[in-house]
Amino acid sequence: MSRRRLRLLLFVPVAAVLAGVLMWGLVGLPSFGSPPHAYAAYLLKHEVGQRHVTNIPSAIVFDYRGWDTLGEELILFTSVMGTALLLRRGREDTGERPRDKAASAAVRHAGAFLVPVVLLLGIWTVSYGYLTPGGGFQGGLICSGAALFLWIAGSYRLHRGLTPTPLVDAAEGSGAAAYIATGLAALAAGQAFLAGFLPSGTVGSLLSGGTIALLNWATGLEVAAAGVLIFHEFLEEYIQTVPNPSPRQEER
Amino acid sequence: MADASTLVPLTVAVPLITAALLAAVSRWIPRRGPDLAALAAAVAVTVMSVALVVATRDTPIVYWFGGWHPVRGVALGIDFVVEPAGASLAALSGVIAVASLVFSWRYFEEVGHLYHTLVLTLLAGMVGFSLSGDLFNIFVWLELMSVAAYALCGYQIHQSGVVQGALTFAVLNTIGTLTLLMGIALVYGRTGALNLAQIGESLHGHPPGGPVIVAFTLITAGLLVKAGAVPFHFWLADAYTVVPAPVGALFAGVMSDLAYHTFARVYWDGFSDALAAHRDAVRDALLVLAVASILVGAVMALLEAELKRQVAFATVANGGLVLAGIALLTPRGLGGATMLVVVDGLLKAALFLLIAAIIQWLDGGDELLLHGRGRRRGGVLPGVLLAACGLGFALVPPFGPFLGTALAVDAAGRPWLTAVAACGAAATGAVFLRAAARIFLGWGPREDPAITREPTESREGEPEFQPNDDWKRVGHRIIMLAPPTVLVIAGYVLSLVPGVADWFTSVAHGITTPHRTAEYVLSGHLPPLPPLPHSHGHYAPGGSAWACAAGSLIGSVLLAAASLWWQRLGRVVRRVLLVPVAALKSVHDGAVGDYTLWFATGVAALGAVWTLTLR
Repeated sequence: MSRRRLRLLLFVPVAAVLAGVLMWGLVGLPSFGSPPHAYAAYLLKHEVGQRHVTNIPSAIVFDYRGWDTLGEELILFTSVMGTALLLRRGREDTGERPRDKAASAAVRHAGAFLVPVVLLLGIWTVSYGYLTPGGGFQGGLICSGAALFLWIAGSYRLHRGLTPTPLVDAAEGSGAAAYIATGLAALAAGQAFLAGFLPSGTVGSLLSGGTIALLNWATGLEVAAAGVLIFHEFLEEYIQTVPNPSPRQEER
Repeated sequence: MADASTLVPLTVAVPLITAALLAAVSRWIPRRGPDLAALAAAVAVTVMSVALVVATRDTPIVYWFGGWHPVRGVALGIDFVVEPAGASLAALSGVIAVASLVFSWRYFEEVGHLYHTLVLTLLAGMVGFSLSGDLFNIFVWLELMSVAAYALCGYQIHQSGVVQGALTFAVLNTIGTLTLLMGIALVYGRTGALNLAQIGESLHGHPPGGPVIVAFTLITAGLLVKAGAVPFHFWLADAYTVVPAPVGALFAGVMSDLAYHTFARVYWDGFSDALAAHRDAVRDALLVLAVASILVGAVMALLEAELKRQVAFATVANGGLVLAGIALLTPRGLGGATMLVVVDGLLKAALFLLIAAIIQWLDGGDELLLHGRGRRRGGVLPGVLLAACGLGFALVPPFGPFLGTALAVDAAGRPWLTAVAACGAAATGAVFLRAAARIFLGWGPREDPAITREPTESREGEPEFQPNDDWKRVGHRIIMLAPPTVLVIAGYVLSLVPGVADWFTSVAHGITTPHRTAEYVLSGHLPPLPPLPHSHGHYAPGGSAWACAAGSLIGSVLLAAASLWWQRLGRVVRRVLLVPVAALKSVHDGAVGDYTLWFATGVAALGAVWTLTLR
């Protein structure tokens, strides 16, 4: 019997026991539709009054549990730094990049049309993140999608040219730093780290939320830049597999 | 707010903002800029953590981020509960990060800002992990340090062994953190709380029930993967083999053992009350894992020729001893475990940096390959340091590992545990005594079929050097050998501080009184600490501690000699010995699928046992 088969054969009873234990745990949970826990009940009742923000998840993410989000944002930051460390070191510099212009006119035009649309959608999702469903994480990722459309509609050179690495690197670092700096500013203002030390504004307006708005934008910047940097690294890996047309072929 | 509590968020925020700014401005700062900035941040973390150890000696500090204090026993925000043990571990992380960064200064030919960024986020993750009082927040910091560690582990990615080791590390640890997350979800579903104090209070006085028992199983397994307890330890040796040595110092010195301490906090704060009626069942299961870790780690360490793999398995064995101390579920046992984490951490970090220096100097990290190569000018200090680490692990009284182990062994009062601890210490000590004798004295044969010898790539994970060139310069040698020397001295001297054993015990006593902490966290009122039970004034090692030390010291010298010259035995004996050796080694085969099966088996067994015994 091969090692693989043996492993599978042993795994089946183990998985059965594991599934049984898990089921026993899940069955004891409160059933669907049971009243919310004290924490959820408190936030549903008091959040808007306390933080003047209509999107309650955003208030949780950027205020009540803003310290978690700081950690999560830095996890994304660290993953990008790690990806860059591993892929940049593992890659040999090829010098000349291939010309990979999009062949189809339909793809070119639709893509070119979508670049501003996606960018706008992303910015909108970030800016209204504390009023309606959305937020820095989601919106930032949509913004980075616009950079991907640059490649799909244009070329790899265009994609890299319009998102210069020094700029994106700086944006990523500053986004992460801005989040932490907002927390430090609260400390400097004599309050607890990440406390909402700015005025909360009017409920339902773009000028509501105080620090929530700032942290939301910092996150949007960081996530957008992180997305673009990851695309850079992965596309660079992919583009090396595209055969580089020799100059003679191009002349023909 | 100029009091000590302001330091609490800064211990994490300072390294993180330094990392973020380094990434933002790296292009415009000189080459040594990242080195200096990272070093300054690590020194700042160390100083702040030490200040917090001092500031919390009487009352812990509870810090609510965002200023969200609990309302009627419901935690709205996230808190750090800083008590001396957690702050000590944060300080330990800082000290080892400083040593590692000083060492990296000369170790890597060229190292960009990305390396420093990742070391800083790893440090911040470790500090947050040891201070946080919120279960989900603990998971966040665990993830942060894991992600940084995966990338740093694969630093020399163009070597094929590195890819495999780092990938095994990433896969197994991700499975572990996801298991932990599933446990957290179950707890949240059952209690509606993520705050450890609130979880503990809301489980108080009810029978535990399915979700809590399964959650406790999953959380235990998830944290023990990070800690590297048998049977969740398989990734550890593969990762340690390929990690660049300065980072390995952080892995072996703190990262693994932190998970044990966090497990202890999660158990006491969150679950000890709910499982109070079943303490024996919890203890017995944990002791089984602890004993398995001690024995497997010790035997496997003896069977390796590669120095980094020896440290890896010594970490498993030492971790087993730490887990045994925790598993006793008494203040003195936990105090011994915490002390062991600190002291063994210093020695293991020193060992890793020393190995890096040896690799750079002698051009190899395999004890058989290096046979007698250390017998030259300048070999005295590295040889002495290596032997000192070995003697430390072998429990030379009255130094650090001895005192920590003595606390745990005396607290246990079980002769069989004393014997297991002595065996484990003897074997881990013998490994490094043997390596020192073989490399720096040229003792023993050059070939040994019992310990692996991988002829190719014996320095996986390390940068390419021009051997011996730099080493002639005194300045270079000072930078390479000063950090391990300082760490070894710190590890030895720590136990000479008067009353240090009592200090660790009383600190642990604070952790093992969860109601008091919970009341302080949730209502701001701190009840007086009840007196420590069975306290007879100052602690002095008892009979079983001395027996353990004597056994392990004599045993380690004998074992070192035996493992150097065992081939002089008759042919039959040799054959009989080699069969179990081969079997044990074939289990550690480097296949991710096998490791995952072991993990699943471990969780299933733990879950089945606790499902039957804790209800």
